[in-house]
Amino acid sequence: MSPKTLAYYPGCSLHGTSAEFDASFRATARELGLTLEEIPGWECCGNTAAHSINRLLSLALPVNELAKVEKDMKLDAVAVPCAACYSRFKTGAHEMQDPAVADDVKSVVGRGYDGGVTVQNLVDVYHDAVGLEALAAKVKRPFKSLKVACYYGCLLTRPPDVTQADDPEYPTRMEAVVETLGCEAIDWNYKTDCCGAALALTEQGIVDDLVARIVSDARACGAAAVAVACPLCQANLDGRQSEIARKDSAWVGLPVLFLSQLVGRAIGLGDKELGLSKNLIDARAVMA
Amino acid sequence: MATCSPSGVLATKVGAGCAENPYLCYQCKRCTAGCPVADQAGMHPAQIMRAVQLGQYDMIFEDKFIWLCTGCQTCTTRCPQGIDIAGIMDELKIIARREGKVHPDAPSAQMFKYNYDSFARWGRMWEIELIARDALHRPKGVLAWLSLGPKMLLKGKINPTLKKGDTDAMKRMVKTAESLTEAKQHEGGKG
Ligand code: SF4
Ligand code: SF4
Repeated sequence: MSPKTLAYYPGCSLHGTSAEFDASFRATARELGLTLEEIPGWECCGNTAAHSINRLLSLALPVNELAKVEKDMKLDAVAVPCAACYSRFKTGAHEMQDPAVADDVKSVVGRGYDGGVTVQNLVDVYHDAVGLEALAAKVKRPFKSLKVACYYGCLLTRPPDVTQADDPEYPTRMEAVVETLGCEAIDWNYKTDCCGAALALTEQGIVDDLVARIVSDARACGAAAVAVACPLCQANLDGRQSEIARKDSAWVGLPVLFLSQLVGRAIGLGDKELGLSKNLIDARAVMA
Repeated sequence: MATCSPSGVLATKVGAGCAENPYLCYQCKRCTAGCPVADQAGMHPAQIMRAVQLGQYDMIFEDKFIWLCTGCQTCTTRCPQGIDIAGIMDELKIIARREGKVHPDAPSAQMFKYNYDSFARWGRMWEIELIARDALHRPKGVLAWLSLGPKMLLKGKINPTLKKGDTDAMKRMVKTAESLTEAKQHEGGKG
């Protein structure tokens, strides 16, 4: 396997509240033989705010980053581990197929983008850029049948026109990755249900209900941990559970881990490198 | 119904912004069935679609629903008519803001604005700034952070510093996108 170089777009959350996602992602990439080149002077992709305020800007921001990867960095793939950013990148690239939109976007960005960059989310990086066989070869400390609920949330697979996900309602690619690590991926009902996303900033009651429903189903289906590939999903599932537990003394917390943390543990990285101490629901027992 | 067309008057407002045709909706309510917040406001997605068809924007803007929509794309994924309903929700948020009809009790609407201002100013979104601005304008909102906030601080999950992006490039893009959008708005007649 030749060494691969991917452009890397961390996004605002990975530089902010989800520093452990950034750290664990970089550490696993390094161990798995990927070189990550952070996009120089990257901008915010506009996240959930831009597309509800200015549609054109919401497309131009990610396309500007894609143009940097294509024209300045001369790379053909970018890793975008935040699922929300990933969705904006895929949407930007998708909308460029409309020549009128592409024209407007070009005026905002100041140059064209020729569509030569593959956008990879966290699951894609391990599943495709590294590859399951190569990943298996690097597993030093396989999990002993840890039961994991793979949670995709909304934007890794939806809408399928944009993401090209094979099975947007019941995806299984994350399961393939965790099984390579020795985990047992469980079948469950809420893997693509919404966790409430940014409503966690303003409508916490709604988010608590959604999170409780998702986590209860994972637990009822036998999971001992939830794997996620999105900083917002992690913050909501982990952080809101700690709030739910405060109000409901019978609540038993289910650890919520970034896929990169699970991969890192299996390929032999230490707790510190994986930022395990940052999880609000203690994850050290399942990661021991 | 057969005579309704997107070139008619009623739904052109939405169609002009996001190029979707709301008249394709035949009220099967599949969007509503899968929507995580369908029961959290007065209206649900299929009702919003009907109101768009009928041009009843005031009814939509008097309800909180569009500001609770998480953008989860479940409706768009499942609609048998291939309508990008989530895209229509975004367009409704844009129209509400443009026409000064943002719901008075919709903190998410303000949060979107703080978020937009933040990345427009710094090149990147600064999470702490959003929460601080919200706290200033909505002291009640602080209550929700009283227990989780300190926990996150202790865990080192809140990074008080910000690494800026390329702020010049960001400002240029924001300015161009806003003026282009405005120009199209005028071109397209009164929105
Ligand atoms: S799913 Fe589509 S056709 Fe059915 S009610 Fe919703 S918008 Fe209308
Ligand atoms: S995108 Fe909005 S309207 Fe559609 S299902 Fe999700 S929350 Fe409901």
